[in-house]
Amino acid sequence: MSRSLKKGPFVDEKLYRKVEKASGSTKRTAIKTWSRACTIVPEFVGFTFQVHNGRKFIDVYCTEDMVGHKLGEFSLTKTFKGHTNKKEGIAEGSKG
Amino acid sequence: MPRIAGVDIPEKKKIIVSLQYVHGIGQKVATDILGKCGIDPDRRAHTLNDQELAAIAAEIDESHLVEGALRRQVQTQIQRLKEIHSYRGDRHRKGLPARGQRTRTNSRTRKGRKKTVAGKKGVKG
Repeated sequence: MSRSLKKGPFVDEKLYRKVEKASGSTKRTAIKTWSRACTIVPEFVGFTFQVHNGRKFIDVYCTEDMVGHKLGEFSLTKTFKGHTNKKEGIAEGSKG
Repeated sequence: MPRIAGVDIPEKKKIIVSLQYVHGIGQKVATDILGKCGIDPDRRAHTLNDQELAAIAAEIDESHLVEGALRRQVQTQIQRLKEIHSYRGDRHRKGLPARGQRTRTNSRTRKGRKKTVAGKKGVKG
């Protein structure tokens, strides 16, 4: 079920304030965040976020096309390295 | 045989059913169209005269996206997801379900015919 329109999109307030602050200055450094559920709003376009995936921070550069999506959609949490090869046995497990 | 929206020509069925042979028209849209054109949905498709067919065609043209145009729209939407490298786009690229369904079993529509793997639970050898 989608989110009620009454509430508007979920935007992490702290993160939003950080973006506002950073957009004043010309220097754009990546903003570290754990807020994967935060919606990308138009103000975020052009910023790079480091979105935590549970293990490390993935660089996500926000483009106009990404508006409306969540930050977490671009920071994958699972590593799939293929199924085990019959010949090589179980050596090919998924180790991140 | 009546022709509507390009190539679709189902005849002996009720018009409300035969309209649904057009990609992009289901029960709801078919009902809407016929209601707007003032045509009894239970009439057979071949009993409609040219005028009524034209009215249906005009209504579809005006307010519904069907067939090729609809397919193209869906494709571009998927393409966009792929281009921004979102999770859903990745799932489309890999041919797996994109909406969080389980893939341990089932998901055969997306994954295609079963590929048996030797050594897996339940498979001998």
